[in-house]
Amino acid sequence: MFGWNGKILRIDLSEGKCKVEDMPTYLMTDYIGGRGMCTRILFDEIDPRIDALSPQNKLIFATGPLTGTGAPAASRFIASAKSPLSNCVSSPCCGGYFGANLKYAGYDLLILEGKSPRPVYVSIHNDRVEIRPAEHLWGKLATETEHALRADMKLRDDLDDWALNTMGIADIGPAGENLVRFACIMSDGGRAAGRSGLGAVMGSKNIKAVTALGMGQVNIADVEGFRKAVMGFYQEGRDNGELVKRRMYGTWSLPGRANKSKSQATFNFKEGYSEAFVKYEDPEVIRKLIRVRDEGCFSCPFGCSKRSRIKDPEYPFTAKGPEHETMALLGSNCGLGDMEDICRANYLCNELGMDTITAGAMVSCAMELYEEGYLPEKNLGYPLEFGNTNMFKLLKQIAHREGIGDSMAEGGIAFASKYGHPELFMGIKGMGIPAWHPQAFDALGLQYATNNVGANHTKSTLPFYEGRKDPAYFVEFTKKDQDYLATSDSGVLCWIIYHGPLWGEKLSEWLTYVTGAKHTVEGLDRMGERIWNLERLFNLKAGITFKDDTLPPRILKEPRVKNRVVNIDRLLQEYYKWRGWDEKGVPTQEKLRELGLEKEGTGVI
Amino acid sequence: MRIKIDHKKCIGCKQCEIVCSLAHTGTANPWRSRIRIFIKEEFCLPVIAGPYTEAACNSKGMVMVDGLEVDGCVVCRASCPTKSVYKEPDTGIALKCDFCGEPPDPQCVRWCAPEALTLIEE
Repeated sequence: MFGWNGKILRIDLSEGKCKVEDMPTYLMTDYIGGRGMCTRILFDEIDPRIDALSPQNKLIFATGPLTGTGAPAASRFIASAKSPLSNCVSSPCCGGYFGANLKYAGYDLLILEGKSPRPVYVSIHNDRVEIRPAEHLWGKLATETEHALRADMKLRDDLDDWALNTMGIADIGPAGENLVRFACIMSDGGRAAGRSGLGAVMGSKNIKAVTALGMGQVNIADVEGFRKAVMGFYQEGRDNGELVKRRMYGTWSLPGRANKSKSQATFNFKEGYSEAFVKYEDPEVIRKLIRVRDEGCFSCPFGCSKRSRIKDPEYPFTAKGPEHETMALLGSNCGLGDMEDICRANYLCNELGMDTITAGAMVSCAMELYEEGYLPEKNLGYPLEFGNTNMFKLLKQIAHREGIGDSMAEGGIAFASKYGHPELFMGIKGMGIPAWHPQAFDALGLQYATNNVGANHTKSTLPFYEGRKDPAYFVEFTKKDQDYLATSDSGVLCWIIYHGPLWGEKLSEWLTYVTGAKHTVEGLDRMGERIWNLERLFNLKAGITFKDDTLPPRILKEPRVKNRVVNIDRLLQEYYKWRGWDEKGVPTQEKLRELGLEKEGTGVI
Repeated sequence: MRIKIDHKKCIGCKQCEIVCSLAHTGTANPWRSRIRIFIKEEFCLPVIAGPYTEAACNSKGMVMVDGLEVDGCVVCRASCPTKSVYKEPDTGIALKCDFCGEPPDPQCVRWCAPEALTLIEE
């Protein structure tokens, strides 16, 4: 089989049993891989109404047909489960070496079911799959856990340096163990499957980590054609300068662009411009300040991720990031204007295993509650106005559920409601809004509001199509972009690299070379739409309705940026029509028939 | 002619390992590659497989790379009885870089986008 192993590894943690199943063919032909497959499996195997943190939830790690093949920036993996944060089906994407190793070990998907009676970690070394005790790892920070696991592995298997560092690890920090609803699954020293709180799902199953090391291989249908195509892609990247630009600055060029266009989330979205960030508008400044080296995910020549260091005796480490979203949400949105402080906050969140974006939205919400006098200082124990570095203390409290952190760990809506002002939490479906201020671009407001998992920057974002600035195309492009990202997440491609008009058709090209089956852009668009509609059906069954497709009142009513508000009602109706859904956002029978999902719609429509 | 390594430019993406295995075996598998990237926190170290040696070393030492102590075994290019790298995982046959044939056209160099590997005339 080309591009695939055709095997699913299923581990029942309650019983402590593993089994290997054959992959059903329709998963590969109708859902590509990654996100599409996960959504299909969750839709089939779990009841959407269950509590996300109960043993009935399933956690899936999935690769795509391109994982491990050498297709540039396409070796990521997807973690998927029902999200404890938004209660939607969620499938965050993560880089690093884990995905490729899972594939090389001989499995395309790993499904974790039930709940282990005691803390364990799962170790996958080719066909040797073990569930091992993890009491000694419980409570450890994310990279500490990794170091301990590599040391374990070295002792057991006498592996050399190269193999140990090639091994992929997905683990959780204290936040995941303590079931913080926005905990991440961390991977390979600071990468994260971040946005939907799947760390808490992993914690609820008592799994501290999953390690994967594979010595197997992936077969490619047309090796020569594939190698030539990759060379062509590099040439394209060199010619348009993207290859160098990405490697030099990664997402560090974005704070400047956001600030200049007045769309940088600032002071809990009260403003779109940060005075303190003016000095970081030139990415070269940030690079000189904190960069140690550039890093690439497995098989990614772009290397946009950065290892950075701060001059602080308390944190004598190098760490990944911070990326633009982190700089905005933990930085300008919380009033921090110093890069060293932002690095510290980023480091803390990564090690504790929390989503930097939702954590930033939580902290800024607490800051505004405090400044407005709704959150008394006696509850906090310290002052917490915007920009106060007491927020580091708060982040630790959230991860360990100490003091006020306990109520904050339950998510933004629950926390802000407790103090009487749910409207001050800037989130959608419980998930914090990412860096770009929705009032700056109408299309972005619509993207966030209609996103299947909440305000997620990786599942829907600013469309990059020709003519995107014309309001007449906002709705059409929103749909097109969402479907496109669903397919690229199923590949599994890196959305940052492949998000642009130039490279939109690359997925079909890579897939054709790797799997040997002819893929077309139209066919993939159809699959993207199918995945998006299936996610929608899952959410409808879970009780998420059109009423949740909205934005916080601040975005809808208070003109904060460019003197504009987002007219979501008008955009929504147009969007539903464009999607082939009724006025309540439920897919119509015709649409589902067209996508081959008639049976799945039963009971919903 | 030789391959010059500038480890400071290496980003640790392992594309060279994959293309090496693709070129030599027709499958993607870093374990069958003739080049290995050793990843350290501060930098990555590409090492290209040299000739096979039958004897294991008695004197294993540390060497300094960029002010950082690195196990001499890591930077040693030889495939030897005590190492697992530079060997076919199934058969144990030793691997050695062949510059991808004649005339030399090393695929690792062609796929190295950050240009950490370059082919130079001596």
